[in-house]
Amino acid sequence: MLQYIARRLLVAIPMLLGAMSIVFFAMRVLPGDPCVAMMGDQATGGALADCSKNLGLDRPLLVQYADYLWRSVRFDFGNSFRQGYPVSDYISRMFPHTFILVMAAAVVAALVGIPIGIVSALKRRNPLIDYPLRIIALLGLSMPVFWLGILLLIVFSLRFDLFPLIGGGDLDGVLSMIRSGEVFTEPRDFLAGVGDVLHHLTLPALALGFTLAATVSRLSRSAMLEVISQDYIRTARAKGQRERLVVYKHALRNMLVPLLTIIGIFVAIALTGTVLTETVFTRPGLGKMLVDAIGARDYPLAQGAITVFTMIIITVNLVVDMLYAVVDPRITYR
Amino acid sequence: MAVVRRAEPVDLALPRADEARAVTRGLLRRWLPIGIGLSMAVLMIVVAAAAPLIAPLSPSAQYSDSVLKGPGVIERHLLGTDEFGRDILSRIIWGARVSLEVGLASVLMAFVLGVPLGIVAGVSGGRVETLIMRCADMLMAFPTLLLALIIVAALGGSLLNEIMAIGIALTPNFLRLARSLTLTIREQDYILAARALGSGQLRVMARHVFPNTLYALVVVATLYIATAIRTEASLSFLGLGIPPPTPSWGNILSEGRQYIKCCPWITTFSGLAIMVAVLAFNLVGDALRDLLDPRLKGE
Repeated sequence: MLQYIARRLLVAIPMLLGAMSIVFFAMRVLPGDPCVAMMGDQATGGALADCSKNLGLDRPLLVQYADYLWRSVRFDFGNSFRQGYPVSDYISRMFPHTFILVMAAAVVAALVGIPIGIVSALKRRNPLIDYPLRIIALLGLSMPVFWLGILLLIVFSLRFDLFPLIGGGDLDGVLSMIRSGEVFTEPRDFLAGVGDVLHHLTLPALALGFTLAATVSRLSRSAMLEVISQDYIRTARAKGQRERLVVYKHALRNMLVPLLTIIGIFVAIALTGTVLTETVFTRPGLGKMLVDAIGARDYPLAQGAITVFTMIIITVNLVVDMLYAVVDPRITYR
Repeated sequence: MAVVRRAEPVDLALPRADEARAVTRGLLRRWLPIGIGLSMAVLMIVVAAAAPLIAPLSPSAQYSDSVLKGPGVIERHLLGTDEFGRDILSRIIWGARVSLEVGLASVLMAFVLGVPLGIVAGVSGGRVETLIMRCADMLMAFPTLLLALIIVAALGGSLLNEIMAIGIALTPNFLRLARSLTLTIREQDYILAARALGSGQLRVMARHVFPNTLYALVVVATLYIATAIRTEASLSFLGLGIPPPTPSWGNILSEGRQYIKCCPWITTFSGLAIMVAVLAFNLVGDALRDLLDPRLKGE
């Protein structure tokens, strides 16, 4: 097992390195000069040259590349071109917003998607149940998250005025209350802050969660179909066990392994979804930060955001691979 | 004396009406989704191809007397107008061209790049396979939209760049599938027979491996057309796709976002167009997969 983990880590490192290289060189061929973007078209040649020197853009590309890699290893992504603050500070401020969005969307997706997938697999011979559920899943899969987000905004924010139109609530305030221990001295303020964050989170989580639920329901349907065709399910039925017990005791538990694969796929899709969801709801987060950084040609900020996205995806896949052995002792590693 | 009674003959066959109903149900189950999906996809292709004939007005014509008018308020604007007084229906019809061009061309590009590389990796094995697969893994570390976003940001927003960005982002998917299919096929007896008859590596790949991977790849390609259309709309929505005034469903939706308070029809209809198009290709792909390859069912 340890040998396997070491080997997987060794494979993950060049993968990450390659992904970071793609990001670096892609950012460097971005059309337009970041100094022009910052200072405007009227800037003089001398001012632009000074700006390039300050940002380190006058150095040879390979030197910039080596510097970027060395700094990234230490989680130092440089300073934002536009704001001047360290990128890692931005990322650590934005990460909690994206994290809670992904988590809340995961809850929605699991609550909606897994039951739909299981029922659709168990009742697959009943077209009156299976077909509508499959159609719902297909519609969810085809509906762009940004469109669903806008429809939710039109109905629940503009028409009924139930949820805020933009923003992410005072998450920074809530987190600082936890860090400073004010959560115990000012519980009312803390709860009000949490309520505000949840209020802002509801619509984005529903939009992202419903589109993800479609993927989850399809994957859990096929996972369930695979499990219920196994011999041990037939044996359980043959010995006269009730269908409910067969499902709960034998099938659901064995669905865990295929469901683990879903987590890897899920995180990748969810992170992509946050880019669109945060843009639609004008919510702070890594996704919106990335889109804004690309628009402003802020290389370090964009590089930092994409590197963090890639790191998360590679790490989650690595952890999922390892969890297989814990969940299913039949899986051995060579 | 024992009386032997002849048992009444039991008709084991289904009654005719039931039999006919069962056959009809089976046919419907099999062909209805593909029929619906295909009709929607064909309709979209026809609309895109005949846009100049079908569109009631020019997609870029601005009518100052009908700015932000709702559907049907002015007779000539069936689905309403945008902030410049442009006809939404005409823009959506012309937008179908962009979506379809990007969808089909990027998938074709991914197919042409990925499948030969995947087959070479599968047949060759060894270092060639390791090299190709590690490169694919590197690209697979990025979700499709994220990779397309990086590439299109680097190249700039245009139709060709969008096709290239989405095509490159989808390539590793085709590569991996082609390789895994090749790994199964290369163990078959007919490959051994072809080699025994003196076929070289290239001939084996082109004449024996490639045709046998084709059906599964075509099914997957149909599903990826849906992914490509959705990715194109997402890029345009983020402002990184085809720049306005050329209409694409994503940029119509993006422009309409500022007016959702007064004029929700702009975003509603353009989003609906995206969903219908993606749904059409998803339906066709799903149905084809169930029809052609029961092994892939439900994956």
